[in-house]
Amino acid sequence: MTRPGLRGLSAALLGATLLLAPPRAHAEDMVFVSTQMRPIEEAQKVRDTILKDAPAPVAYVTEDPPALPVRVKAEMQGGKHTISLIGALHGELQPLATMGALMTLDDLAARLKERGIPDEVMKLGQFGTGHQMYIPWMQATYLMVANRQALPYLPAGADINALTYDQLQAWAAAIQEKTGKRMLGFPAGPKGLMHRFFEGFLYPSYTGGVVVPFRSDDAEKMWTAFAGLWKTVNPNSTSYNFMQEPLLAGDVWIGFDHVARVLDALRQKPDDFVAFPAPAGPKGRGYMPVLAGLAVAKGAPDANGAMALIDYLAKPETQITTARAVGFFPVVKATLPPDLDPGLKLAVAAIAATGGAKDALPSLLPIGLGQKGGEFDKVFMDTFQLVVLRGQKPRAVLDRQGQEMQRILTETGAPCWAPDPPSQGACQVK
Amino acid sequence: MTLRRGVFLSGIAVLCAWVLVPLYLIALGAVGGRDAVNSWPKSFWPAELSLSTITAFMNIAGVWTSTLYSVEAAVLCMLFSILLGVPAGYALARFAFRGAVAFRLVVLLTRAFPVAILALPLTVSFIRLGLYDTPLGVGLMHTALALPFAVLVSASLFQAIPREFEEAAWVFGCSGITAFLRVVLPLALPGIAATAIFAFVISWNEVFAATVLTVRHKTLTAYLLSVLSESPLHVQFAGGFVLIIPSVLFIFLVRRHLFAMWGIANR
Repeated sequence: MTRPGLRGLSAALLGATLLLAPPRAHAEDMVFVSTQMRPIEEAQKVRDTILKDAPAPVAYVTEDPPALPVRVKAEMQGGKHTISLIGALHGELQPLATMGALMTLDDLAARLKERGIPDEVMKLGQFGTGHQMYIPWMQATYLMVANRQALPYLPAGADINALTYDQLQAWAAAIQEKTGKRMLGFPAGPKGLMHRFFEGFLYPSYTGGVVVPFRSDDAEKMWTAFAGLWKTVNPNSTSYNFMQEPLLAGDVWIGFDHVARVLDALRQKPDDFVAFPAPAGPKGRGYMPVLAGLAVAKGAPDANGAMALIDYLAKPETQITTARAVGFFPVVKATLPPDLDPGLKLAVAAIAATGGAKDALPSLLPIGLGQKGGEFDKVFMDTFQLVVLRGQKPRAVLDRQGQEMQRILTETGAPCWAPDPPSQGACQVK
Repeated sequence: MTLRRGVFLSGIAVLCAWVLVPLYLIALGAVGGRDAVNSWPKSFWPAELSLSTITAFMNIAGVWTSTLYSVEAAVLCMLFSILLGVPAGYALARFAFRGAVAFRLVVLLTRAFPVAILALPLTVSFIRLGLYDTPLGVGLMHTALALPFAVLVSASLFQAIPREFEEAAWVFGCSGITAFLRVVLPLALPGIAATAIFAFVISWNEVFAATVLTVRHKTLTAYLLSVLSESPLHVQFAGGFVLIIPSVLFIFLVRRHLFAMWGIANR
């Protein structure tokens, strides 16, 4: 191929672009930006199933969580709005509310009252301002999944729905002894959600708090115990991002992760797996409910359409469809139908067992940290690396990391959130 | 002789395997079905052949439109990089002007700042200019990223073409411009084509700027690749496979011109 060939190639490319330049149809569809349900298959289900009967055509656009505030801020400053509806986690919506980018939805909230969204959940959407900034959309949490082959090794007398961390360790140790393999797994990979395990599960279970008792004696004991537990954990855990993959591959038999990140395993092989709540520690069964909400951008090109879509998404039927399609659970009063697929049923039962446990200790996602949320997570991951992976003494590490955490809280001025006791001003590490 | 030949052939075999084995494994993951991806130990032969994951991937709503936006932005990036970069490269190669050295360095500056910290001001100015959420805007942004390569590579191309050729053309009655068009440009064309391809690839692969600058008109990388890593393994394999094919074909088509570029530019 010589020059004419090349010329032909570039001409063809150019021609193709100009000819095929897509007609800008659908450009008037309302834009719904979401930080949830981003993976390809899930986004596809949102478009095909959940939004199929929406009141008006919707352009569903997924967005990385850190990019959302950047885009919203840019549209505010630039004065051209494309986004109408925003779907994101409670903690991701708060910075948007603080920068004044969200419309108040008091009327809509009043109209949706009869849908049966629990008052305390609805109230979270006010961020303490007295005005509804977002409408709760759907919820999820984290749970444990085990391969049925692991069940015979459960310690005597242990109830899988009411495990303690000590029993979990005994269980994993028994498996290691019999099979010679470390079969417990955590999502401690670069894209994994391990930090949530510390913030919402381990810390509350052992210390009854997250920030205030960060460097307490209880925390020191906790890290020592967790370093012991880690001896039974598959060392590949530091590369796991989604536990469903090692679970399906049989690399691990017991795993902890966000329900959306194990659901594929439960769905593909519902007969091979069981799902159950995370273990309890001395202070209770810490767990982290995950709440996503829907907000309307101030200056939205189609605010009424956005509100109509919120109304649609908060209908019991849509909420059930959502649960079926992507494994996020209803916030409104909705009875899940009995013909649910078996994998989803396992997840629903485990989530209900988590929230309904006698010793349940709900722990919120960090609130009020805004852009510093990543630094806050890093404090936990750094402590984990130093204490558990590198074997340093917990006391010295906790003292150092505690200062780092205090710096983040002082800079953001974030008051304590549950289960830490409420504070005046920035939350203080004791 | 036979020994040398054996070493030569095994060298070729190793290099081919170096490239082909990963490609084969990706293809295996893409067509081997859902279970094979997660099973261990892996078999080197597919247990079953199914195109279901690949077809599912190709049928995702919006894949084709975003492919078009990608091509559109990449072609614009390619054109702008050539139109701006080649004259700049020619000037650097042929004329001694005050600040030429500084220019060589300054042109690299667009690559010196991470786009991430520029995201907010960039998006705001693109909104004000009316370029937000258009392939033209993405193309311009990518031109800024591709331009340093276009300028520096074409400068070295022109440096490699003897000035005497041009002077001879002037003697025979060409003006500066016709000498450039008739003598220098044909000699430099393969290298320029390679530069254009380079610009195309830079634009095709860029994720971050394409993500923040668009909402509805997302390029393929912004639309899919950014979330591919969060998808189940078999989808990742299908996506990887589908995205590799065009680039392998493309490289195969233009391979001779790529060699031309390295041949001239390395002199």
